[in-house]
Amino acid sequence: MSISALNSYLPKPCAPSRPCARPPRATPTKLFSQPPTLASLSDPHVLRLAETLEDSIASSSCPPPLQKLRDISSQSLLTTPWPSRKDEPFRFTDTSFIRNSEVHPVTLAPTQNLDALSGLADSISPNIAIIDGYLVESLSNLSELPDGVFVGRLSDLNSKGLMDKVSKYVSNFQGDLFWSLNGVGAPDVVLVYVPEGCKVEKPLHLRFVSMNRSYKGSKSLPISNPRVLVLVEKGGDIGIVEEYVGGDGDDRCYWTNSVMEVVLSDGAKVSHSYIQTQSLGAAHVKWTSVCQGSKSVYELTEVSTGGKLSRHNVHVKQEGPDTVTELSSFHLSIGDQLQDLHSKLVLDHPRGFSRQLHKVIVAHSLGQAVFDGNVQVNREAQQTDAGQLSRSLLLEPRATVNVKPNLQIIADDVKCSHGAAISDLEEDQLFYFQARGIDKSSARKALIFSFAAEVIEQFPDATLQKKVGNVIRTLLTPALPSR
Amino acid sequence: MATAFFSPTFTLRNSTSIPQSRRRSCLVRSSQASVAVETPSSSTTDLLLQVKDLSAVIAESKQPILKGVNLTVRHGEVHAVMGKNGSGKSTFAKVLAGHPDYEVTGGSVLYKGLDLLEMEPEERATAGLFMSFQSPVEIPGVSNIDFLNMAYNARRRKLGLPELGPIEFYGYVAPKLELVNMKIDFLNRNVNEGFSGGEKKRNEILQLAVLGAEFSILDEIDSGLDVDALQDVAKAVNGILTSKNSVLMITHYLRLLEFIKPTYIHVMENGRIVKTGDITIAKVLEKEGYKAIS
Repeated sequence: MSISALNSYLPKPCAPSRPCARPPRATPTKLFSQPPTLASLSDPHVLRLAETLEDSIASSSCPPPLQKLRDISSQSLLTTPWPSRKDEPFRFTDTSFIRNSEVHPVTLAPTQNLDALSGLADSISPNIAIIDGYLVESLSNLSELPDGVFVGRLSDLNSKGLMDKVSKYVSNFQGDLFWSLNGVGAPDVVLVYVPEGCKVEKPLHLRFVSMNRSYKGSKSLPISNPRVLVLVEKGGDIGIVEEYVGGDGDDRCYWTNSVMEVVLSDGAKVSHSYIQTQSLGAAHVKWTSVCQGSKSVYELTEVSTGGKLSRHNVHVKQEGPDTVTELSSFHLSIGDQLQDLHSKLVLDHPRGFSRQLHKVIVAHSLGQAVFDGNVQVNREAQQTDAGQLSRSLLLEPRATVNVKPNLQIIADDVKCSHGAAISDLEEDQLFYFQARGIDKSSARKALIFSFAAEVIEQFPDATLQKKVGNVIRTLLTPALPSR
Repeated sequence: MATAFFSPTFTLRNSTSIPQSRRRSCLVRSSQASVAVETPSSSTTDLLLQVKDLSAVIAESKQPILKGVNLTVRHGEVHAVMGKNGSGKSTFAKVLAGHPDYEVTGGSVLYKGLDLLEMEPEERATAGLFMSFQSPVEIPGVSNIDFLNMAYNARRRKLGLPELGPIEFYGYVAPKLELVNMKIDFLNRNVNEGFSGGEKKRNEILQLAVLGAEFSILDEIDSGLDVDALQDVAKAVNGILTSKNSVLMITHYLRLLEFIKPTYIHVMENGRIVKTGDITIAKVLEKEGYKAIS
């Protein structure tokens, strides 16, 4: 059932009666002013948005898993209101910037402007370009992939066997509003499939570019909904570099609402690098949902510096014993921007291992960062070794960070640690530099960069380390006191 | 307390009365001793550091630690400061280096004729004062070679010399590793991160060897070292001693003083230097403890 069909059940006065941005939620009369049935759970704004997204995508000949995804997502949007600050997952994350914009889906106008992007094609590793949510072959290069590996649109997939497999994995998971909006608005699913025992030598580079950008203050917000499914069979091994760009450094506005699902079968390994350097006027909402079979290894290294509102939701579920999960994130807020990481790691089986490192620098008085890191060690997850560390560096007065590390441990034979520190630079470290003749401002610069370097060093690829290092160095330079 | 008797002026005058040649011979190797004899200098130009009635408190709690320290160091001299835990030895070293945890409340320090207390820590360092830390801090994310390069270039800027790029600097620094008996990959590791106690001390001495110093303060450079490591460190320190360079060592043990021979030994107690003498003091301390002195 589509949103538009269901939408017709809404009491008619409801939608037009709300020209203003939101209902007066705080008033006690609210309960009575809302219609009591299905509509009381529906948010007209969400429904309108979902309808717009639905209208934007081509409905012809859609593969069954994609249809299933759209149906499930439509269904869940009917009962999902726009999140408010009263909802715990959005307590510190103000989404009104998106809520108050005129969101319109991007329909790709191919070939135009794309020539300008050809410089993006890096010939070194296998790579694909996803422009405003659409895969563009002419900018992609997949010649070096081993036999049996599939990287492409789900709608281009010929193998029935594989299509059935994909169907199994589509949306067993329930995300939030943004997850479902992506499910409705994704024009296709980009599938990355690694067959059993296959080791992909070179990392696969996924480049997401936001081409449609509106000017700041125009209220218009072009949305793209890229969606990727990574399926790695038993013993398969692949490195994925997921990179988001678009008007880097300027303040153009757009909304990237992206989802990546990763499924690792037993003994598989995925090394996932995620880099987000979108414009400072953009909204970047990202879901990463990971299911890990036994003895599988998933490593995520993230560096996020872009976006006015940037939120990464990471959900990892260990579905077998002896599973390894390593998450490292570095967020940087250099302007009036919010960097948010919401992570949830569920360990349900014996001898799981997990390490999480979250680091953030807020270098602007209007900058904000949020970290909510949940680790669940359930009853069966004995001999778990789980560690979590969050470190925040606030460089300006009034710079804000909201940190909520939380461990829920039910198993009784486990080793778990967590820590959270919010600070300026360590005096002892600064003095060590000075005692060797290095002036305070150079010392600060080196120390601030080194704070980020701990995460950057986790990228498996040295070229990437260097590239991201330079980005961070450049971004931090104006934020630092001059010599 | 017999302040007058143990006063700094006393120390200073006493030291000048020792014949130049004798002072040298107990100092370092003979080749350097001969150099020193060839260049006798008058007592005023010979001064490197002059500490007078220095008192300092912990900046936060205002607890007094140094209560009138007096010390004079000339070019080419090796001084050792001994004393019980908590007597103020490390504080003295840190105050000289300009550590922000301490606040100077009185007295003066002249270094090469300049008011040391008016200088920023980095100015002291580029002026040739080097303090090796008792427990050097770890700096994740900054490689040893980058750190050394930054420090070395700061020194070169001060001297009006062109800075060295990474490749030139590598050529300069690589041979210095032999001094502290470390492998080349030592340079690529992050500063002190995951270093053993011995590696940290070697790293401090490597920094000293790379940067050079007219006045080095070695704060318990021997603690936590096995005999081999101690010999390496001592050899490296002796290697950089010249007739001009001076050293102030803080130690609890005689064995370091057997490797790096001090001109004077000072005993610190309750924030003051209460006794000054030669190596025999250390020998008495080793045998009988601080009771024998006080």
